[in-house]
Order: sequence, then C-alpha cells, then structure tokens
Amino acid sequence: MKAVGARVPRYDGLAHVTGRSQYVDDVRVHGTLWTKAVRSPHHHAGIVSIDTAKAEGMPGVHAVITAADVPHNVYGHLEALGVPADEPLLADGEVRWKGQVVAAVAADSEVAAQAAADAVEVVYEEREPVFDVRTACDPDAPSIHHWGSVYPHFGPHNHRRVRKGDVDRAFADADLIVEGVYRPQAIEHVPLETQVSLVVPEPSGRLTIYTCTQAMYFSMGVVAAHLEWPLSKLKLVGGTVGGGFGGKVDTATETICALLAIKAQRPVKWRFTREEEFLASSTRAPWHVEIQDAVSQDGWLLGRRTLTLHDSGAYSRFSPYGLTKHAFHHTGAYTIPNVRFDGFVVFTNRVPTTAMRGFGVTSVSLAVELHMDRIAEQLGMDPMELRLKNANRIGDTTGNRVVMHDPSTVAVTLAAADAVGYELGDEYRQMSAQRRAGELLPEHLVAQQAPEGEHLATYDPTRTNGGTD
Amino acid sequence: MRLTVNGTEHDVLSPPLTPLLHVLREELMITSPKAGCQQGGCGACTVLVDGEPRRSCLEPLAALEGASIATAEGLGTPEDLSPVQAAFHEHYAAQCGFCTSGFLMAAEALIQHGPVTREQAAEALGGHVCRCTGYVKILDAVTAASNGEDAAGRVEADQGPQGEDSVTPIPGRWG
Amino acid sequence: MAGSVDAAEVIVAQSPQEAVEAFGDGGMTLVGGGTIVVPEITHGRLDPGRTLVLGRAGLDGVRRDGSRTTIGATTRLSELEDAPDPLGIAVRHVADREVRGQATLGGNLCAPPGVESPRGDLQAALIALGADVRSTGAGGQRTDDAEAFVGAGDRDRLVLDVSFPDPEAGARQAVRRPHAHAYTVLSVCVARTAGAVRVAVSGAGPHGARCPSVERAFAETADPEAAAARVLDDVTPHDDALASAWYRSRTLPVLVRRALAEL
Repeated sequence: MKAVGARVPRYDGLAHVTGRSQYVDDVRVHGTLWTKAVRSPHHHAGIVSIDTAKAEGMPGVHAVITAADVPHNVYGHLEALGVPADEPLLADGEVRWKGQVVAAVAADSEVAAQAAADAVEVVYEEREPVFDVRTACDPDAPSIHHWGSVYPHFGPHNHRRVRKGDVDRAFADADLIVEGVYRPQAIEHVPLETQVSLVVPEPSGRLTIYTCTQAMYFSMGVVAAHLEWPLSKLKLVGGTVGGGFGGKVDTATETICALLAIKAQRPVKWRFTREEEFLASSTRAPWHVEIQDAVSQDGWLLGRRTLTLHDSGAYSRFSPYGLTKHAFHHTGAYTIPNVRFDGFVVFTNRVPTTAMRGFGVTSVSLAVELHMDRIAEQLGMDPMELRLKNANRIGDTTGNRVVMHDPSTVAVTLAAADAVGYELGDEYRQMSAQRRAGELLPEHLVAQQAPEGEHLATYDPTRTNGGTD
Repeated sequence: MRLTVNGTEHDVLSPPLTPLLHVLREELMITSPKAGCQQGGCGACTVLVDGEPRRSCLEPLAALEGASIATAEGLGTPEDLSPVQAAFHEHYAAQCGFCTSGFLMAAEALIQHGPVTREQAAEALGGHVCRCTGYVKILDAVTAASNGEDAAGRVEADQGPQGEDSVTPIPGRWG
Repeated sequence: MAGSVDAAEVIVAQSPQEAVEAFGDGGMTLVGGGTIVVPEITHGRLDPGRTLVLGRAGLDGVRRDGSRTTIGATTRLSELEDAPDPLGIAVRHVADREVRGQATLGGNLCAPPGVESPRGDLQAALIALGADVRSTGAGGQRTDDAEAFVGAGDRDRLVLDVSFPDPEAGARQAVRRPHAHAYTVLSVCVARTAGAVRVAVSGAGPHGARCPSVERAFAETADPEAAAARVLDDVTPHDDALASAWYRSRTLPVLVRRALAEL
C-alpha cells in the first residue's frame, strides 16, 4: 500500500513530456498503404449494385473490399456473451446510416486511396429514414431493421424490465403524480487522436495489429471472428491511446485494415480524418426518458414508472449493455419501494451509438435529478431536503433489490450543501447513512428494507412485495 | 529546400505546398507533432518556427526556406528534461499525452518572456485542446515553469515504490 | 500528401515586384499565411493549381504617414493587436495566438465564406474605419474603399496594402466566442473619423457589410437605441451551423446599440 498517498510518477510520464510516446500513427513500417472508405451518402437506402472495377484498375491501388470479401460479416462485441449482433462490417444490400462503410480501398498514398474510393460506383435506392427515437416507435414509422424498431433480445423480453413492489397501488395512494420527459442528446467523444490502426502481415502468416482500441481483448475477438481466424494468428499491439473516453471500444478500423492487408499482402493503415471522426465515429447515445412518480404530500417517493428509449442509432453495438446499466441506476441515489421500469433499445438512421464515460448512467442521472427538482417545486418543498429524506440508507434495497451497505447519498448531499453554503434544517443536517428507523421508516418503506446484516445480492427478493422478471 | 529541425539541417524533398506537419512526420519521421485535426483547430501539431509557436499543419513548406524548427524531441531528454518538460512531469500535466507536445512548444515560447499568471497562460494557450480536460494541471505546470521552479530534481527523487521490500502483496478482499 | 500538391505549380515571390508580375491578371491560388488555404488543400476541397506564395514577398509591414496608417497585405495579425480600435480589438478576437502569428490581414480581407462559418471577421472593422484597399490584378492596380472591395466579392485580386485615417474613436461588440477556434458568430464595428460615424457588421451574411440606415439615424438623433433599431434595414441575417437567422436578428440591434453607446 505504499503507493496510496505517495506521489508516484506516471509510468508513461517521461515519454509523454519528451514527445517520445509512440501512438499508432507514429509507427513507421516501410511500404505501408493508406486506407479510405466508401461511405454511404444516404441515411437509409437499398444497395442496388457495387462496381469496384474502375477503382481496382487505378494507379497505386492494391486492394478493394466489399461485403463479399468478409468471411463472417455480421458480428458484434457482445456476441461472445450471448447477445446477438446485427451489424455488418461492410454494408450488405442496405445502408442504414449516412457514413456506413460500403467498401474500402488500400492504395500507395492517402490521395490515391481517396481517388479510388471516389471511383467505386454504388447504386442506391433511397428509403425513408427515421431520426427521432420517439417517432421511431410510432406504428407507422418506417421499418429500418429486420427486427423492427427495437432490439429484441433481453432474455425472454424485447426490452429491459425492472419490477419491484406494487407500483399500481403506490400510484393509487399518491397525493401527487409528477411527470417529466428528459432528452439528453448525443455527444461526440472527440479524442485528439482519431480512430487509427496499422495492420502488418508477418512472414509467419500472422497479423500484427497496432491499434488505438480501449478494449484489446474485445478487439482481438472481433477481428478473429470476422476473419474466421484463430486468436493465435493475431498479435495486437496497443495501450498508448490518444484519448478514448469510451469511443474506442468499437474496433472501428482494425478489421477492415486486416482484410485489406491480407488481400494486398502489404502493411495497411487507416486513420480517420477529423471530419470522419465527427460524422462517422460513434457517439454517446441520445436518450428519451419518461418518468412518472407517485409522491406523498410530505415528500416521500412512493413509486416510479419509467419508460426509456435508448437511441441506438442504426445498429445495436453496446446499447443493450448501456441500457441495462441505465436500468440499474434508474432510481438514482434515492430509495423508491415500488418501481416499474421499461427500457427499449430503439433503432434510428443515425450513426450507431456506443459507450462514453458513465455509459448509460449519466442520462438517467440527469433525468432523475431534474425530476427531483420538479417534484420539490410541485410540492413546495426544499429540493435538498426532498433528496435527503429519500436518500439511500444502509439496509435499503435498490430497484434491482441490491442491498445498500455503504450508501453515500446523505454524506455527499450534506457536503455539497456545505460547499455552497446551503441552509438546511437541523433534522436534515444531522442525517447520516444509518438504517431507517422512526420517522424515516414509514409504513411504505418497511417491506423494502433488508434485515440487518444482509449484504449485496444475498437478500431474498421474494421478501419484498411483488416478483421480478 | 533547407530546413533546420532541432538543430539538424535537412534537405527536404516534399513538394512546396506540403504542410510542415507532413514534412516532419512523413519525410523526417519526427512524430511528436500530432495530426489531430489538420486544420489548425486542436493545437496538437504546434512547433516553434524561428522561436515562435506555429500550427505546423497550416504552414506550407514553401514559406519556410532556411527556417529553424523546434519540436518536443529537441527540448530535452528523459534523462535531462527542459524546465517546461520537468514542470509538466512534476505536475502530472500529461494524461493521454496526445496534446502534450503542442502544449509544451507553446509553453516553451511563452515562458521566454518571463513569469506568467494563470490568466496569461490560459489566454496564450487558448487554442490548444486537451480532451482529457487536464487544463488545471497544465496551467499549474506552465506557471511553475515560467517562475523558474526547477521541478526536475523533485521528480528524480520521487520514483515511487522501489525494491523488493516495497512490494507489499495486495491483501485479500476481506483479509 | 494530396496529389494536387504534387501537381501544383508554385511560385514563391521574393519581392513585391515579383509578386505583382507573377500574379499578372490573376487566376492563381494565393497563399498568404496559409491558415485557410492549406487545410482546404489537405482535405481535398481545393486543387491549388498555379499558386503564388506570398510569405517571402516583402508585402508586410505597418507604415505611419501623418495621420494615416498603411498596413501591408501579408502583415501578420499578431502585429496588429495594438492597431486603432475597432481593428485592434477585432484582431485580438481572431482565432488564437499561433494562428494570429501566421494569418495575414490580406487573407482575412479576401477570405471566401467558409462552409457554415462566417470568415473574414476583420472586414467590418476595415469598413467602419473607411479603409482603402490597394490591389492588383486584371486591369492593373486600383484602390477601392473596403466596403466596395468586400461587397464586390471579386477575390481574384492581389491585395497590396490597406490604409485608413486615424479614427477619433472606435468600438466593437460581438457575440462572445465559446472557444478560440470558433469564428465570431456576429460582430459590429463602429468608428468615428473626421466627425462621421461608420457602422459595419461581420457575420450576418457572406461578407462584411456597412449599415447606412443606422449611420443616418445616428447622425440625426445621436441615440444609439433608435439608430440600432434600423440595422435590419441594412442587413438580412442568415442561418448557418453557428446561429440561426432568428438569433442573429434579435442579437444584432443589441450589439449595434452597445457599440454606438461606447463611442
């Protein structure tokens, strides 16, 4: 434990401050070819035909690939975990977002590659796109996916569900029902190092892949699956990443570079331009969160109904995982005994979305905290006191029936109040995380409280009122 | 074209409209200036041209005949850091490191004029993006370096846990 | 690098005379500081073809002549940060330190409208100062006032220098930029020279524009508010990625009023 409290130099600090850290784009391999992508100019279209003959004949062009060149075209990062995938590496018959890669080219220079990519002739048949996650769920919305408008694989359901207590009774008992809709928007990660990889075919028949991935083993598995190669033939080199923030888990360039390198038998590099990074790299998802809370006049949260629509963009990628995290956090830092959460991963014709710092959680935190202020306003109650009263305490159970044994809501809220000089009544200032008792354990919170000493998931969920899906 | 980079004179063959960034990275293999946006918007390619900070992605080679260029590679070495480098290291002013070379070169030019306040540093470095958002530590480092605080000695003395005695096994979770 | 760079025919002028001769009747790509042209080439949006590089042509420098200032076309903006307002203050709000050290006055004056970006943020300042622009090209050398030069939109000219008489007062008001790299969404420059007030706007259209209705109203009433109310008679703000016409229309009179009140 000697590192705790000590000033330990960064292991990469000296290399960073002397300009010697080697990022993927700094690796120099003789004879490296440049990659450029042929990207869909349409948000939604059928592909009638792709003609690469002209591009292949251009000077300096070494390889052109389309979906037909990919041994296993549809694969996803979560597939190894049993979550079915939907995204082709290269578009096959249809494009579902503006910027989707239809073909890729490797050539002697960046300019030659771009010229060849421009020369690939693709005939499209435009289809009606959908951009808004709420209207995508309308019955008459255009169908953009063979699964329909939502990603359908959440165990036995087509969406993520949380059920706890008797939410209908909570609403029947409520003095007030507070409703709100919250729509945090997409955010681009903007790493200063754009997506980049360099794939070198080795004399041994293996591939060395220099990559900026944040998820080395994910990327290795994904490349191997698309190629239908054993992992033993891939050597991935990474670890020095010029900013990721979640956006570099997607294995954006490695597989396409690998296919081009195999076809050309030359080292192949692909570095997104800044424009590509903005237009075609994945973003944090936009979300649509509808919250209905059953509230008592004295400021208790009796029940919550939540409908979340997670705008996945054109393909699911990590969205089922992000939505699941969102579901776990949908009561925020507060204890609500009766909840019903329904969350859908919805397809739109936008760029596919992915992880970003606090994946799935920041959206629901924003919604919950705005909603708490709205409740306080409608009750005429102090918003900090509303939070402290309903704050998670030791022995409380979350919506997913995780038992709290060290919740920090009260301490953090009081510290925040102190930091800004916020005045609170004495009974609030003296609060702590201790188990609910007395006035803080009204009748409606008794059933959700775990017996003393219960930890984490050891608590029997059937003890609360109602069942689980 | 003759170009001096970090004190070494080069004959450069790139066409005259090639941006200096490309000449450095692709012809001379000097890779500390980064191609972050290639349109002057991020600062990661900043180098010194005759002592003044410039976006190398915006400078055409043709305008640089006989110029003297400095990059992060020329400031100091891991064994002998320049004051700005030492301050960045000491103050943990590099996170992912991709923007660091650009910040270093702009800071190097800035502190030649003597001590700067945080506000002056923020204004002078305002065109540089650190997407890890490490600006507080960067400003700490730049102001410290401008005040002549020699951070190098302290960094050298503080190498963290060393030797077998220092390596304590991590106890079991409930141990 | 871009193939277009390999194919470009590049002349690096070593004197003003050489630059003027090489430019002739125009039809060339001009590189002043390079801050606009170079990325356009890098990203394949501009094929330079015949190109004249001005960086070593000696067209830079600031000259004082009695009560008149003359600024060479390739003078770097960093050398103009202390110019009389509203030019000085406008220069200090262009991009960042490095870009100002490289960008030139002539380049800013001739900047074509960018994609969704109101370039040419010094045009309003030069119009407000009543600057003269001396240029060469087809038909030989000529001098236009900045308003006419910018308004004509004829960018196939080689600017030699810009000159203006000392203003008695100048001011600038602008929408604050969120970051050093953002173009100024909207700015208003005003100057009083020889007793007359000129008002100009950058960022409301494809180029800077003078506001004669505002000037007349201000001359008659001396009331910034009444004069500012006329600004939409002079310019029709447009939509782009940075701001809507709606936003610009509501902000512009406020900026005009504040700028006039500062005089």
